[in-house]
Amino acid sequence: MKRRVFVFIAAFGLIAALAGCSTSDDTGSPASDPADETTEGSDVATTDDDGAAAADDAGSGCTEEIGKLEMWVDDSRLAALAGVVETFKQEQCVTVNLVRKNFDDLRADFGSQVAAGEGPDITIGANDWLGEFKANGVIAPIDISAVASGLAPAAVAAYTSEGQTYGVPYAMENIGLVRNNALLADTKATTFDELIEEAKATGAKYSVLVQVGDKGDAYHMYPIQSSFGAGMFELSPDGDYTSTLAMAGDPGHAFAEYIAKLGADGVLSVDINDSVAKDQFKAGNAPYVITGPWNTSGDDSFAQAGMDISVLPIPPAGSEPATPFLGVQGFYLSAKSENTLLAQMFLVDYLTRSDVQLELFKVGGRTPASLDAQADPVITGDPIAAGFAEAAADAVVQPSIPAMNQVWTPLGQEEADLISGKASDPAGTWDEMITNIESAIAKSAE
Amino acid sequence: MYSPARNWGPGFIAKLIIMALIDAIGVYGIYSAWTVKAMPIVIVMILLVLVANVVYFARRFVPAKYILPGLIFLFIFQIFVMLYTAYVAFTNYGYGHMIDKDRAIAQMQEYNSQLDPNGPSYQLTMLAKGSDIYFGIVDDGVAKVGTDAVALEPLKGAKVADNKITEAPGYTVLGMGDVASRQKEVTSLRVPVSDDPSDGALGTSNATSAEVYRPVLLYDEAADTLTDTESGTVYTDNSRGNFRAADGSKPPNDVGWRTSVGVANFARLFTDASVAKPFAEVLAWTIAFAFLSVATTFLLGLALALVFNSPRLRGQKFYRVLLILPYAFPGFMSALLWRAMLNTQFGVVNQTLLGGADIMWLQDPWLAKLSVLFVNLWLGYPYMFLVCTGALQAIPSDMMESAKVDGASPWRQFRSITLPLLFIAVAPLLISSFAFNFNNFNLIFMLTGGGPTHGTDPTRPGGTDILISMVYRVAGVDDGNPDYGLATALSIIIFILVGAIAAFSFRQTRKLEEMA
Amino acid sequence: MTTMTSTPPAKAARSGDLNRPPRSKWWREIGWRHIVGIIAIVYAVFPLIFAANIALTPGAGISNTADLFAKVGMGNFEYLFTDPSSFFVRWIVNTLVVGGVTSIGTVLMGAAASYAFSRFRFRGRRFTLSALLVIQMFPQMLAFVAIFLLLTALGEVFPALGMNSLVALICVYLGGALGANTYLMYGFFNTVPKEIDEAAKIDGATHAQIFWTIILRLVAPVLAVAGLLSFISSFSEYIIAKLVLTEAPNYTLAVALYSFVADPMNPHWGWFAAGALIAAIPVLVLFLFLQRYIVSGLTSGAVKG
Repeated sequence: MKRRVFVFIAAFGLIAALAGCSTSDDTGSPASDPADETTEGSDVATTDDDGAAAADDAGSGCTEEIGKLEMWVDDSRLAALAGVVETFKQEQCVTVNLVRKNFDDLRADFGSQVAAGEGPDITIGANDWLGEFKANGVIAPIDISAVASGLAPAAVAAYTSEGQTYGVPYAMENIGLVRNNALLADTKATTFDELIEEAKATGAKYSVLVQVGDKGDAYHMYPIQSSFGAGMFELSPDGDYTSTLAMAGDPGHAFAEYIAKLGADGVLSVDINDSVAKDQFKAGNAPYVITGPWNTSGDDSFAQAGMDISVLPIPPAGSEPATPFLGVQGFYLSAKSENTLLAQMFLVDYLTRSDVQLELFKVGGRTPASLDAQADPVITGDPIAAGFAEAAADAVVQPSIPAMNQVWTPLGQEEADLISGKASDPAGTWDEMITNIESAIAKSAE
Repeated sequence: MYSPARNWGPGFIAKLIIMALIDAIGVYGIYSAWTVKAMPIVIVMILLVLVANVVYFARRFVPAKYILPGLIFLFIFQIFVMLYTAYVAFTNYGYGHMIDKDRAIAQMQEYNSQLDPNGPSYQLTMLAKGSDIYFGIVDDGVAKVGTDAVALEPLKGAKVADNKITEAPGYTVLGMGDVASRQKEVTSLRVPVSDDPSDGALGTSNATSAEVYRPVLLYDEAADTLTDTESGTVYTDNSRGNFRAADGSKPPNDVGWRTSVGVANFARLFTDASVAKPFAEVLAWTIAFAFLSVATTFLLGLALALVFNSPRLRGQKFYRVLLILPYAFPGFMSALLWRAMLNTQFGVVNQTLLGGADIMWLQDPWLAKLSVLFVNLWLGYPYMFLVCTGALQAIPSDMMESAKVDGASPWRQFRSITLPLLFIAVAPLLISSFAFNFNNFNLIFMLTGGGPTHGTDPTRPGGTDILISMVYRVAGVDDGNPDYGLATALSIIIFILVGAIAAFSFRQTRKLEEMA
Repeated sequence: MTTMTSTPPAKAARSGDLNRPPRSKWWREIGWRHIVGIIAIVYAVFPLIFAANIALTPGAGISNTADLFAKVGMGNFEYLFTDPSSFFVRWIVNTLVVGGVTSIGTVLMGAAASYAFSRFRFRGRRFTLSALLVIQMFPQMLAFVAIFLLLTALGEVFPALGMNSLVALICVYLGGALGANTYLMYGFFNTVPKEIDEAAKIDGATHAQIFWTIILRLVAPVLAVAGLLSFISSFSEYIIAKLVLTEAPNYTLAVALYSFVADPMNPHWGWFAAGALIAAIPVLVLFLFLQRYIVSGLTSGAVKG
């Protein structure tokens, strides 16, 4: 709590000085009690306990802009951030220039532009980019100790590496089992096999749609994989991922044989890729699909198509729980930002607010990281969000270590080959894949 | 002979006005490049202005007057880009080696300097002496001042209110306005608590409170080493862009930097099994793919151009416009569309056209090759159609007329007059089309991703992998851990290959030209 | 020079129409061409029907190939023109400006260079020609590092040439003006007999007058082809455009369309297809307009009047 108080004073002090004071030395003199002015000025509704850092000319507009931040956002979330940008401008006289980028380009462009000494102050980004950004030296640590207790611990942990936090989380996302209630109203299955039987009984064309594609999709297949006890990486004693694979040996073989069988039975198919899975489910050709919130709400989503859906946990295929990966969305601070103080303030004091995170919830349906927001009726009263949260009960944070980049492609390919029947010896090809991944990790770690 | 330089005709006046504009822009550019101290640009601009004036006002250099504008753009926007890209091939630029050494050291220190969660927190006053920023705090009632090179030491005569320094003799108290313009300096400043580095250093993230950070890595500039203050391990520059301990271990939160690695990237062509082993196989398919793509698109384009070249054909315009439709559509969209259409279970080709067939267009290695060629034919024939349509018009009609008078059959006319003349005109285009397809990454990437693959062995290429897509995979560009140095080096080797093929073919066509 | 037109030989051939050839001859000479035409059009247009289906069917995805046009709606087009996050009209204008300026610049610079290569013999001619051919084969995919660096540096000197500027993008495109186009045009310039220049020279014309008033007129078809090709390639180019144009209002159509489907989790195929269909219109219109020049060809010129 001690630090929290300081941050408020800090924020106030900075703003009071930047906004109004023109003489050079008056900030050195003890200001009048900051608390008084803070409460006076907080005519902008905030859910933070004491109105944070509203300067006394808030709302009435700033006569002078005291700083500028540039922030990259993808198309779909741009509009949801306009509100907080306006609030920040009103309260702090700092303009945040939101630059619209393609989500697909954010990672590479931020990496190369910051490396070249350009780029924005802040970018939106997923937690699994952390390893790469850090290895490339393009992000700066962010001191979120003042607000960390108000955020979901898993979300903070996802942006933490070796004791430092590098991102401000705003939402968590994971995949779950989505049911078309028009085809099936109740799910009794407790195992994946039962689920397939139950789905087949509906007479629909497909039972459980899981996107695979020619190149496989290790992310969407992970809940099945993990239910055989074949995790991605071993954990170190303090809970960090190491670069030692955890999916070698019997658990991996069992998983390989299982999906090969599902492939032979026609349940899984490499012809079912992301767009096929989405389109077939929308067309009512399957009672279940394994997918994430990006397909349940927003443009072109199941909700927009007027479907009645429920979200459930994925039943395990093996003897352990089926744990999807927990992805966390948040914001990074550029290592080349010249506006570190203002950027920190915006990141820590504004983007963690529950109203901001609820606004972002509306575009993407991801569960907010803010605990206050999670307790908000908007979230608690949303069965879809609750369903995804329930599906995430056993979820593990998606690894952001560099070694993960060496895993996605070969693991996906192996899964595709098992499903298509091209890999006729599941255990043998699985072992071969493990060897290939291990040598790739060793090579990249030199 | 008279020269426009002596004749105040409209042409000369136009030239004067244009040159005056160019010189004005040039002088502005030189001046403004000078003010931002961009010396390379200053030099290039001066050269360009001089060359332009000499070329256009001297009476010699007539060909240069025509080539120069294009050449200037070529030099700045292509040759410079090429040379710079070639330079990248000799560096380790890529994952973990994106920034320069100074930044890498600073970044590693920042990542390793961690806030001590149990340490004290002080109210902070930002001070300045000369151009240096100092931290001022009150520790147990004692005012202390320090900066990165000077550990905290008590300051006599400082005025303190509420545990915060308000005045410090010899220092200027910085207003927040001053702080705002030096934000990065403030947040990256670490002030040692004492002369013992293991006591930690003060840092701030908000300019009003200071906390203790424990720097784990210390950089010794003279020895060019990093020292871990906790374990005592010393890391030295391994001259490949990283600090490493004697036993090869990495410093915590390792960040590498961009540095020259000589020809190491080129050597990977021979030493790296995932490049060397499949190279010949992939090269053979790349050549076959590029050649067949040019041959099929050219033949179809030419055939269609001939068919619709008849002046008596009604609806000629209509046909021509619809035929170039595939070309008017964004290429990557078309490739994605075709991928969906060729899906075994769900694609319209199997489902609708072939009545529910089960043909694995993109999963069987040979069918996938066929599909790639077929889709490329669809994408590429309109270009050839356009070029051939244009080229047919350029054949002097009197030659055709005289052939007709000679009683040559239409096929003979085509063989002995149309085709050779057409070929002279389009041969260089066929060569560049070959080169384009040789590196047609987009099509392969969007349609098959290089697949179908042979398991997970990185030394076995996919069924439709061409050299450039193999390079991308090997260099990790599409996996998110790119080695741009390696990718560039290998693509330069590809460039040399295709350049040699092209130069050779070009020489052949010139012989053809001379014969005609 | 404008008086050098004469009766086009093609006209003579056309007057043969009056003789009304018999049906079998019509089939042999013309009729089969219609059959080929129809087959070719089916081949060309067939995949685009699916694009149209995606554009016109609300909620359709790229993989939904069953039930073509089951229900038709204009929602995707409405989005493009009315949604505040869509700058569709601006994107069209940007694209036309970039494509137009690039193609005019390319044609002028390429034609000038081809004229020099075709009509003058100078030191380094062959080398330059070969070099031009080879340079354009340099793989552009890895050039993004250099282009970014170059434009950032230039932007500090000439703000108009910095990142996120259409002018800068045009300049990068013009860097490739001497590539393939020089070859396309060079071949045609060579087919224009040198006697024409020489005759003009004897009449007292300067090299500039010969170029601007005689040669350019004679090679109009190839100028049209080169212009069209250059327009189309800058129109559909998106790798460099995506790198240079960083803010949505400045996008060209290719970049904007790509941005609709760039998020693999949430691709908007409907907007994309609708936009792509509209984007094809300018290309087709330009082609229709230029066809006159492409087809009129040298037959209306003065080659051997």
